[in-house]
Amino acid sequence: MIWLTNLVAGLKGLFHKQSVEHELDEELDSYVAASAAHKQSAGMNPEQARHAALVELGSRNAVKHHVWSSRWESTLDGLLQDIRVSVRMLAKSPGFTAVALLSLALGIGANTAIFTLIHQIVLRDLPVRDPQQLVSFGDSVGAGINGGVDLGTNRMFTYDFARQLEENPGPFLGVASYFSGLNLVSVHSAAKGQGQGQGQDVEDQSTTQAEASLVSGNYFRVLGADALLGRTITPSDATTLDGNPVVVLSHHFWRQYLSSDPAILGKTISINGFPFAVIGVMPEQFNGFKEGSGLHVSDFWVPITMQPQIMLQPSMLVPRKYYFLHMFARRDPQVPLASDQQWLDQQIRDYIRAGEGSVVSPARQQEINRKTVQLLPSPGGVSQLRALYGDSLKILMVVVVLVLLIACANLANFLLARAATRQREIATRLALGSSRARIVRQSLIETLLLSFTGGLLGLGVAFVATRALIAFVVEGVSYTTLSPMPDSSVLLFTVAVSLGTGLLFGVAPAFAAAHTGAASSLSSNARVAPGSGDRSSRIWPKTLVTAQVMLSLVLLVGAGLFLRTLQNLQDQDYGFARTHLLLATFNAKLAGYQPSQAPALNQRLLERLSALPGVRSAALSNDPPISNSVWGSSIAIPGYIPAPKEPMDVTLNRVTGRYFETVGIPIVAGRAITPDDSATSLKVAVVNQALVRHFFPKGDPIGRAFNIAGIVGSLQIVGIARDIKSESPRDEVVYPMVYLPLAQIAPMEMNGSGPVPVENQNLFVSTIELRTTGDPEQTIRELRSAVAGIDPNLPILSVHTIQEQVYSMMTHETLISRLTGIFSLLALALASIGLYGVMSYNVVRRTNEIGIRLALGAQTRAVLWMVLRESLWLLGIGIALGLPITLVAVRVIRQQLFGVGVLDPLTFAGAIAIVSGMTLLAAWLPARRATRVDPMVALRCD
Amino acid sequence: MPAKIVEGKQQDGKSSDLVQGTLEMLILKTLALEPMHGYGVALRIEQISDGVFRVNPGSLLPALSRMERAGRVRSEWRATENNRRAKYYLLTATGRKALTSETEQWHRQIAAISRILEA
Repeated sequence: MIWLTNLVAGLKGLFHKQSVEHELDEELDSYVAASAAHKQSAGMNPEQARHAALVELGSRNAVKHHVWSSRWESTLDGLLQDIRVSVRMLAKSPGFTAVALLSLALGIGANTAIFTLIHQIVLRDLPVRDPQQLVSFGDSVGAGINGGVDLGTNRMFTYDFARQLEENPGPFLGVASYFSGLNLVSVHSAAKGQGQGQGQDVEDQSTTQAEASLVSGNYFRVLGADALLGRTITPSDATTLDGNPVVVLSHHFWRQYLSSDPAILGKTISINGFPFAVIGVMPEQFNGFKEGSGLHVSDFWVPITMQPQIMLQPSMLVPRKYYFLHMFARRDPQVPLASDQQWLDQQIRDYIRAGEGSVVSPARQQEINRKTVQLLPSPGGVSQLRALYGDSLKILMVVVVLVLLIACANLANFLLARAATRQREIATRLALGSSRARIVRQSLIETLLLSFTGGLLGLGVAFVATRALIAFVVEGVSYTTLSPMPDSSVLLFTVAVSLGTGLLFGVAPAFAAAHTGAASSLSSNARVAPGSGDRSSRIWPKTLVTAQVMLSLVLLVGAGLFLRTLQNLQDQDYGFARTHLLLATFNAKLAGYQPSQAPALNQRLLERLSALPGVRSAALSNDPPISNSVWGSSIAIPGYIPAPKEPMDVTLNRVTGRYFETVGIPIVAGRAITPDDSATSLKVAVVNQALVRHFFPKGDPIGRAFNIAGIVGSLQIVGIARDIKSESPRDEVVYPMVYLPLAQIAPMEMNGSGPVPVENQNLFVSTIELRTTGDPEQTIRELRSAVAGIDPNLPILSVHTIQEQVYSMMTHETLISRLTGIFSLLALALASIGLYGVMSYNVVRRTNEIGIRLALGAQTRAVLWMVLRESLWLLGIGIALGLPITLVAVRVIRQQLFGVGVLDPLTFAGAIAIVSGMTLLAAWLPARRATRVDPMVALRCD
Repeated sequence: MPAKIVEGKQQDGKSSDLVQGTLEMLILKTLALEPMHGYGVALRIEQISDGVFRVNPGSLLPALSRMERAGRVRSEWRATENNRRAKYYLLTATGRKALTSETEQWHRQIAAISRILEA
């Protein structure tokens, strides 16, 4: 309680300084009066007594000061006073303050923005119990369904293997699995209308598409995640195939599509036409172990046993056929990771071995014995965003730190220069009895005031910048887990950066200020003193400018390399047309089509789309010419004997008759697939050049027959298509590729799950390609209305031009190239301002000297050169030191580059030219001013 | 005990050291008898010490201010015997406890120092 009274009294003292002082005066008066009265009673006369009492008291102000200093609020008051002084000093030089605040706001803002993203994408742990115990089986970044591979290839596992480890987790506390990708499903929510207990669907709810995640029964338990409402999926929810229609909703799906209905539990939503009971809603921060696929996030989680309903495909839970699950485990912290790893590898090898025939060749046995899937500690789960942007963000973090350092150097320089001009003021304060500590304190407060104000502005800058960055990264996605709102760690980061920045640029000037000698600076020749006498005070600004030149060079080279990378990616030959091509994706399955209905639908689409005005030709295909996800299988060519372990995988695409002319892929030999290739004609295929190079190195492949696993009958090669970049703009190798006529896909196929043939899912395609006569953007509306005209329920999932499709595959290169470009120019601008400041200050300082030189007959050119020479030296040293640093630094980003070496001479030359140009400009302006010095004025002034 | 000097004067005019920390104890002791104003405290200390310690307002008033903040004394304005207004300081319960413990500590230290000096 005492501290509280103390606090209240202290605050009273601060806010009612007058009355406190008045009371103290009164007490002193009464003290003197009492003292005088006592002395008088001891025999002095009143005059003497009063005088003696006053003498005893001594300096009245000193006593008052002692009393004041004995209280805590005096320290605070001093601080406030220093802050007031600092604010006044800063307001006195608004130009400096504005530049300082601007560079700090940009510097700290950039750091905060990048940190916000790093924190959310790279650093954040999953919101589950003991996330540090989680390990993922391999990097688990990819997604898909593999067949005919060994267990663990592409970190994919079968359902029977996952079940085996779920039941016997060995040294782990638990092992869970989930489908590696997300499934787009159509959701029809009748939940609202059903609340009356009628159990009837009400048809007024709109249908929407959502991303479903398929998970094992113990997924949530192993993950250590609890539901916000209701419960999570448990092992008893994943017992029988098709028999567990329950769903756990994500918070955002519940909010966006079900209006956060608090009574949602127990109601049903219809997914792909099947009723699912809602058993729980997850907390807002929870996004699953793998944070979605690409930029998409899980909207809900369904037991893996409901896979046929979710994927609209026959069961994939059959043993040893489909490799489509990713796995993760919760480790027992008592067990070393190495023995966990050993156990897992043993399980994988045993499983593979059990699938081989009774005789296993020694080579194969050795191969099996080398199989491993590395356990990766994954406290943050698995994130494709992290895989894609993690490295870029780390590079950007380094870049923004460098930018901030350059800004710091600038401010330190300005403050040093100002400390020099303020020597007289400081000397006066010292002479009047101010302590050096107090001067250091005041100076530091001034810089901290700057840096924290800059930090505050920086938070605003960061919010705007982060929002823009997130919008860029997740363009076109309805829900993202990323948020520009700074959380506590981000705020802490910003405070720490502001404090660090303030100390970094403030300490040297503060001590320089306190170092002022009181006597010398007050003497009459003080004007000459700053800089001319003290060697170190001239070295510092130059060192800082040199460092700025150095760092700018590093940043410019980096930015240049990224720019060239992006250019190379954009300008390279993709093998297909990059203009006048419009792509759209649709999903007939979600609209309830059966595979047998697909050919008729496709035919109607083709006819309607070909007839659209402005459309030169139309085609359908499973995948667009370039796409992240591809269809693939392995091939067998009669007469071709594969080497041991030789991959026979090829990329497949099924296309309609005018695909090649529509997409603009040239046929180099033979013919293209035409509308005449029908179900009844000879089964044909077009292959790419890479396939020919690899499998037919000797002869002409046209006319040769081959087989594809999973496709009945043999196919005859009728044409060779040019190689294209089919998966990524960065593809260095072209994969062997086979194009099949869509019309020749067999209507029925044998599925592993049973002896009866089932409808072939491959009758569906998902991509529309339109070759347009004009700007493809103009055709988008017609395309949508044409599709809607055929079936208003047929969902068009996306429409974009081929150019957009290509750019969407290089977003992180675009991001890093743009940002490093912006940051390096910012750094260069800051460095130039710094150099300009230092040079201007030098010229002002040397006005006298220059005046004398001019008076003695020096040529203006000589004076110009004298000033420029100094900056050229700094530039030279900066580049000389910067080049080796750059050479080391660029090695770090080697992986990120494309089509350009780390020692690209053009980039280096360009960077050096830009740095030199800006430096010379920054130095030339003050130099020119030096030549304009009027000798008479220069000599007379002071 | 490291001695920061609080001034005082001996009868013969030589300075006498008042060990830091003892001033507050002496003030507490003085106020334990009756509430007093500042000058009263100074006078009482001087008189009882036969003029060995003379406490001037530059140290007395800050000490009183510190003690008031620490809750050992509280103050109120009263009329003096010659009908003037003066700020009187009163010992609080906390102050009384502090006086007891500081006196005990002081005696212990004095005893210890004496033992060392007599050894």
